[in-house]
Amino acid sequence: MEYTNFYEEFGSPLNPRKRRKLEEFLAKQDLRYDDQIEETCNLVDGDGNIAATCSLHANVLKCVAVSENYQGYGLSPRVVTLMINRANEKGIKHLFLFTKPKNYQMFSDMGFYPITQTEDILLMENERNGIDKYIDSLPKGESGENIGAIVMNCNPFTNGHRYLVETAANQCDTLHLFVLSEDKSEFPAAVRYELVKNGVEDIPNVIVHQTSDYLISSAVFPTYFIKDISKAEDANCILDLKIFCEHFAKKMNISKRFVGTEPTCQVTNAYNQQMKAVLSSYGIEVIEIPRKEFDGRAISASVVRDYLHKGDIEGTKNLVPPTTYEYLEKEGYRYKK
Amino acid sequence: MKIVKNAVAGTLESSDAYVQVSPNEVGIEIVLESVVLTQFGDAIKASVMEVLAENEVTNAKVSVNDRGAIDCTIRARVETALKRAQGDN
Repeated sequence: MEYTNFYEEFGSPLNPRKRRKLEEFLAKQDLRYDDQIEETCNLVDGDGNIAATCSLHANVLKCVAVSENYQGYGLSPRVVTLMINRANEKGIKHLFLFTKPKNYQMFSDMGFYPITQTEDILLMENERNGIDKYIDSLPKGESGENIGAIVMNCNPFTNGHRYLVETAANQCDTLHLFVLSEDKSEFPAAVRYELVKNGVEDIPNVIVHQTSDYLISSAVFPTYFIKDISKAEDANCILDLKIFCEHFAKKMNISKRFVGTEPTCQVTNAYNQQMKAVLSSYGIEVIEIPRKEFDGRAISASVVRDYLHKGDIEGTKNLVPPTTYEYLEKEGYRYKK
Repeated sequence: MKIVKNAVAGTLESSDAYVQVSPNEVGIEIVLESVVLTQFGDAIKASVMEVLAENEVTNAKVSVNDRGAIDCTIRARVETALKRAQGDN
């Protein structure tokens, strides 16, 4: 077989017929087609069979596979190069990929570097020490021994969040506040970040950060290579916690992580329990702070959103800080459903 | 030569190099990744600088992802990327 006897097939994404063909091809490799894929590139042999494939969703390479008939032909770097060219045209330079740990060598040969790995998943990026360089670029504030962190979404920033931040800030020298940057919530990332920043401006030892690309957002987290799909959520959460411990906490000397107690939501509660288990193995203390209540009810962002869905902006007044309310008075109508 | 747009040249295959060039306000920025960074990192950077000088490029970001390419390959990939990045003229 000649090395060059393949033609390149592109789709953004593939049409249904080609997509079915790709799904069958992936199934043979124990992979599932990921519905969020935006771009696909295939190398196809003279008989019309897929020899190698690579896809892209946002800044994540997905579903990279080579036919077993063409192993050892060097097709994976070829197909990945094509996809990186494509990403470049879209202006995306910094790429990530999730894969099985056994594929480490293959991707490392193509210039990908590991960020972290669990038993089932390896996360890589195409920049050496990219995550550490990113963390180095973050403002660190006055150093102290007692450094804490909170990671939150704040969709939007409420009095409950404010209370959690205040309480936590009292217990440490510096408190790093990471606002998730994924654009999956009702309130856009930029708005959530602004509201948090304005809402805690008066607390001197708090530094607000955006999590940038290094948040394993559930939006891009792929599950197509995890056989047992029910395990995917767990795997995602462990990976997320490991990134926090191995990179953020280590480089920023974070020794405490604060979370609000979770009286209602089972999923968040399970996440908090998992967090305690993982973080304690890295010597980081998890401190649960009871939720602030108003009118006998825990204040939560979802209650605020419920009011907004009904168009009742006034109703949120006692639940959010003045800085957030000011925004809602102007823009709150956008969230009416 | 003026770098006006993003351009790439090369591949990630073994013995090749993948070069990305993009505009830069002031000066030259080189980011080098290589499987032989410790042994040949400085030599590769020197080659890239030479090609930039030959083409009179003074402002550019150049990222080279070297997969063990020999010197002439690296030079050729950089030169191609530069020419692709200079616009339509």
